[in-house]
Amino acid sequence: MQMIEMILSPLLALIIGIFFLGLSRKIMARIQWRYGPPITQPVIDVIRLFSQKSVSHGKLFNLGIIFSLAGSLVLVLFLPLAQICPLSGSGGMLVILYMMLLAPLGIALSGGESANPNTSIGISRKFILALGYEVPLLLILLALMTHYKTISIVHIVSIQQNTGWAFVSLPLLLSGIAYVLILPAILGIRPFEVVQASQEISSGPMAEYGGPFLALATIQHALSLFIGIALFVNLFLGGAGNLLIFFLKMLVVFVLVLFVNAALPRLRIEQAVKYLWRWPTLLAFIGMIIVLIVRR
Amino acid sequence: MSLELLLIIAFGGAIVTYLLGKISCRIREGFAVLISLSLVVMIACLYGENGTESIYFHFLGLPLIMRTNMLSWFFAMAVSALGALSVIFSLNYMKNRERTDFYYLMLLMVNASMLGIIFSGDLISFFIFWEMMSWSTFLLISYNRGPAVAAGLKYIIMSIIGSMAMLVGVLSLYATYETLNMATLAELIGSASSGYLLFLLIIFSIAFAIKNALMPLHTWLPAAYAEAPTPFNGVLSGMLTRMGMYGFLLIMYVIVGATRALNLGSGLFKFHYILAWLGAITIVIPTFIAILQDDAKKLLAWSAVGQGGYMIVGIAVGTNLGLSGGIFHTLNHAIYIVLLFMCVGAIQYRTGGERDLNSLGGFIKKMPFTFIGTLLGISGLVGIPLTNGFVSKWLIYKTLILEGYPFLAFAALIGTWGCILYCYKFIHHIFLGQLPGKYQNVQKAPFSMLLPMIILSFAILFFGILPGIPLKIIDTIGTSFGFKSMNVTIWGIASETGTLNTINIFAAVLIVSIIAWLMLKIGPKAVSVAQEDTYAAGAAIPKDKYHYTVDFYNPLYRMITPYLKDFIDAFYMKFAHWIQSLCNGTRRVYTGYVGNYVMYIVLFLALLIFIRLKWSL
Amino acid sequence: MDDAGLFSGGPNPILLVVVPLGFAFALPLIGFVSKKILKYIPVGVFMFNLVVALRLLPLVLKQPILVEIGGFSPPFCINLVAGPVGILFSALIALAGLLVAVYTLVYIKEGPEEKYHILYLLLLTAATGVVLTGDIFNLFVFFEILCISSYTLVAYVGNRAGIESSVKYLIQGAVGSSLLLIGIGLLYGLFGTLNMADLARQIVSVGSSSAFIPMAFMITGLGIEAAIFPLNSWLPDAHSSAPSSVSAILSGIAIEVGLYAVVRILFTLFGLSSFFLFFVFLGVLTLLIGEMCAFSQNNIKRMLAYSSIGQIGLILFAFAIATAYAVTGGLFQMISHTLGKGLLFLAAGYMIVRSGSMEISSLKGMGKRMPLTALAFTIGAFSLVGLPPFIGFPSKFLIIRSALAEEALIFNILIGLILLGTVIEGAYFFRVVQVIYFQKENEHQKRHEAPVAALIPMFLFMIAIVAIGIYPKLVTGILDSAASELLDRVDYIRSVIQ
Repeated sequence: MQMIEMILSPLLALIIGIFFLGLSRKIMARIQWRYGPPITQPVIDVIRLFSQKSVSHGKLFNLGIIFSLAGSLVLVLFLPLAQICPLSGSGGMLVILYMMLLAPLGIALSGGESANPNTSIGISRKFILALGYEVPLLLILLALMTHYKTISIVHIVSIQQNTGWAFVSLPLLLSGIAYVLILPAILGIRPFEVVQASQEISSGPMAEYGGPFLALATIQHALSLFIGIALFVNLFLGGAGNLLIFFLKMLVVFVLVLFVNAALPRLRIEQAVKYLWRWPTLLAFIGMIIVLIVRR
Repeated sequence: MSLELLLIIAFGGAIVTYLLGKISCRIREGFAVLISLSLVVMIACLYGENGTESIYFHFLGLPLIMRTNMLSWFFAMAVSALGALSVIFSLNYMKNRERTDFYYLMLLMVNASMLGIIFSGDLISFFIFWEMMSWSTFLLISYNRGPAVAAGLKYIIMSIIGSMAMLVGVLSLYATYETLNMATLAELIGSASSGYLLFLLIIFSIAFAIKNALMPLHTWLPAAYAEAPTPFNGVLSGMLTRMGMYGFLLIMYVIVGATRALNLGSGLFKFHYILAWLGAITIVIPTFIAILQDDAKKLLAWSAVGQGGYMIVGIAVGTNLGLSGGIFHTLNHAIYIVLLFMCVGAIQYRTGGERDLNSLGGFIKKMPFTFIGTLLGISGLVGIPLTNGFVSKWLIYKTLILEGYPFLAFAALIGTWGCILYCYKFIHHIFLGQLPGKYQNVQKAPFSMLLPMIILSFAILFFGILPGIPLKIIDTIGTSFGFKSMNVTIWGIASETGTLNTINIFAAVLIVSIIAWLMLKIGPKAVSVAQEDTYAAGAAIPKDKYHYTVDFYNPLYRMITPYLKDFIDAFYMKFAHWIQSLCNGTRRVYTGYVGNYVMYIVLFLALLIFIRLKWSL
Repeated sequence: MDDAGLFSGGPNPILLVVVPLGFAFALPLIGFVSKKILKYIPVGVFMFNLVVALRLLPLVLKQPILVEIGGFSPPFCINLVAGPVGILFSALIALAGLLVAVYTLVYIKEGPEEKYHILYLLLLTAATGVVLTGDIFNLFVFFEILCISSYTLVAYVGNRAGIESSVKYLIQGAVGSSLLLIGIGLLYGLFGTLNMADLARQIVSVGSSSAFIPMAFMITGLGIEAAIFPLNSWLPDAHSSAPSSVSAILSGIAIEVGLYAVVRILFTLFGLSSFFLFFVFLGVLTLLIGEMCAFSQNNIKRMLAYSSIGQIGLILFAFAIATAYAVTGGLFQMISHTLGKGLLFLAAGYMIVRSGSMEISSLKGMGKRMPLTALAFTIGAFSLVGLPPFIGFPSKFLIIRSALAEEALIFNILIGLILLGTVIEGAYFFRVVQVIYFQKENEHQKRHEAPVAALIPMFLFMIAIVAIGIYPKLVTGILDSAASELLDRVDYIRSVIQ
């Protein structure tokens, strides 16, 4: 059974992630009064990329991208998708937190070997941005874990199934709002699209990738979209009893953040970090204190 | 195996090494390696033994006692193993330098006195070895001359301040209980008042906090680490600094005892709670300072300050998980920081001492093994799952969260995220990117340097995938302090509030990596091209550096730099200058005019008589 | 003078004084025979003294030896009291004298050598006399000999600085001597005796406060030689301009003998315990002033001289606590200071010869040029700071231990100040060690070690420092009984006046 789950959950994540990619292009096009590509376009792109030639800059260039994709795939195994969670008892939230590091680190190592200044700038921005949103994110997650007195994400979900969503429970309300405020930063979309910034630094870390490399990078990107949203659904929207509801919740969240993406311009990296360290952090901080008071 | 003999071999070996150096360098080096390896073997043989023995010498009527138990075995093993690796690493690094005899003597002396500290069963021998360690370290830190001299002086002055505080503590215990045997003290101290215990803990903490570079007593460390000879950095950062940790364990849990030590003070102002907060501050601020560094050794030095905070937080929380996390992190940190310093050493060796991050780059092609070592080292430092650093950090985070210290947990976690920034900077600036023209002909590091690096890299993975092996030992230490035993399995920790199972993670990572690799294999094979091809798109590129390294995190620097000046160090330096001018002022008492001097004599006589009349003594 | 026969065949303690004194006067005569042999005479004399003192040591531990001169019994004669303290100091003086004399063989090459050796013998004879005598006027006489020979030796080099500081020393010393003499005169007027035991007995019976004024005079007078603040202004000049071998003796022996006299008068003669607290403060003040002044010196010998002031402060502090522990610690610190400072001055002496300057900065690269001498200096410095495994550590340990045993809060503060002094001491000594080993040196300076005759005494000093540091039991037995002799007035009186 566990074996099936282990195969099933990354596959699901992959399908949904790629679907989200296609969907986002479609919705963005419609908002901008364009027709937009078909929803299957990312799938076609990935398949096409696998058949194309590419250049490499060395062993680490190859390994880094594998590392990054593997990190994202493993992370999916730790996330409960409805009732499916193959690695529920192997480390909990803390491992998830760390696994979220692997993907950007892999890309960074791979891109670093290319010596392309655009790549390096992109990586530097990625890490700064990550530091920016981790401050509120960690406060939020710690508030959750402290409130539910567990470090296992499966427990967090199951408690919410019994007592209602964390997002609407009073002690965690502020934390939830803070999470919503930083969600675009976690997903790397506007107004926090500083890392890719295709008009500015030629897609940053992606600049050197072509062919299969770009395909893997796209898949990784899709997975990280999926993970970012699934994490929010699990932590604050109570997960779900079955897959369908889970995906519906994800879809709603995704469409909402797409609107944000469409409506806002890109910030500069300093502006982004300043924003992240101001309002979301303040809310998360107050949220944490509330949790502590309730706990006492 | 008698401990007395062990120490005699350790100290005697140091001196014999020195003398052999007068005959031949090769014999000396062989002997140094032999001595350090035989110490490892001898200590390994002590596993599981519990015993005390008093050695022949008495010190002013105080018996000197050596004892071994799991705690001392654990630390001694780490000290001797890392010491041996550092000696091996030194063989090539120190070749053709001046005063190598002196270097080896002091290196082995430092190791021997650390073993002495660890095996001491009473506080007086503890103190004696502690002081010997301090001064021999001082001599080694100053070895490189130039700025190293100031660094050494700073180290030894802070160190003396610490040991003077400790001396007061030791002597006060002696005056109160008439014994300095740790075991006896632990029994007698149960009846002491809380105020006295608090005094003891604080006075000892000053010494240990200085050694462990706990903020705000950390200021000696960055300069000392940066200027010490690089092979010695391993010993210095790996174990010597962590003697402070050993000291904290000793005073808090062995002598005062967990139940008393964790109940001193009231409310939020409990001793261990404040200590944990100092640890948390020590995690955060140095981590951010490390991000700003452009000097490879300084960066690692600030990182070591920060990592020390984790250990303190771990043991100060006072739970079995925290304690294990703290002790385990001491070992883990020692492993990867030694490895990282060795990597810097290898780079320095091949580049003629270059350690400015901005003038390096692209060494992955030239020194691949060193790169792998560095990669594993920073993985351990960040705490990526399946490396050793992850397990110990996991333990610490978990206990912080579950015991309801979310802000401490926040400090610890944010430290890790800051850590990623400087770790990436470290590896990126040295190994990735563009290779400067002048290093086109750099060779691989020699084998005697690679060997310790390989062993340590292996250890990082080994303890990361099979953490149960060291955790079992640490659990024994924890239970000997009176903590509840953890449910240690070979793959990690099992418990209701969150299980850690590294083998699952390992298997999963292995499988998905293979899948990802296969996916890459599906496509056509990539063509290997020069680095600048894509970027320049065929156009001519500038001859000099085009790779982006200087001011790598520029936007962040601009934001945080104003808040990260080392105010504490500036304050100490100001204080030192103030003392200096006070001393200069005092000198004026001696005017050089003999009339004044005679006046002093007469005044003294008058004073004596005045006192007599005033108080009729 | 035949009482020595009573005591199980040991040598007569008076030999300790008579032999060197005799040779001091015979030296010019021997000079007629051979000039070359002159410099070996102090070596022989102090070797003899050392042997005698060491043979006496086990005997006096059982019972003090009294030597009555002139056939009368005390209090009607001049007597020597060879108790544990006296013999301990005699041995120490003989040891330091011997080693420094060996050093002198090569160190003193210019000037009126013959006079140097005479004065050297006189100086140490007088020191031995001071610690052995049981008569207060005799003490004064020996003291004068000691002072006068030191004035002259300070000026031995004959340069302007030497003569100037010698004159300054002379003026202050003369003031001190006269104060001492006034004090003795007053005592004689009050009690009609000069024997210390007899005086002590009479003072016990009338109460010590009635004899306060003579005590104040005597303490002030002796305090000058003992270098107690603020009476020590002569010391930095004198110690730094004397030849290094003389500085070693002045720092290691002369001021300690001065302090011994102060302590003997305070403890045995007057026993004015209510005044001890004052000396505790004075000790700490002396310590701090000495260390702070030493910290700001650029001249190596001045730095060492100020450091001696600091050490004297520590010793005074220990004695003034006046418990058995503390006095043991004080005596121990005296030994430690003699060995350590002696070693430092000897090592510094040859480094100065080689570099040609007393500036600390000119010692750069000495670690390479004269490795053994540099090692000696380092060990001496570490020992004085009180680092294990050197002798400075157990002595400091004992002192602080005994101070901690005092309950009063003020002692805790004083301990803090003493430890602060230690930190400052560490700072300046380590700075010099760094200059010697780790400062960038000038190129082309070849290895040029001190001569063997100078290295041997340094080496022996080092061995003593390390051996006692590792195994303090070598001396603690003697120190304990010496401490009890100093503290137990009644016993002293009883043993002298049967």
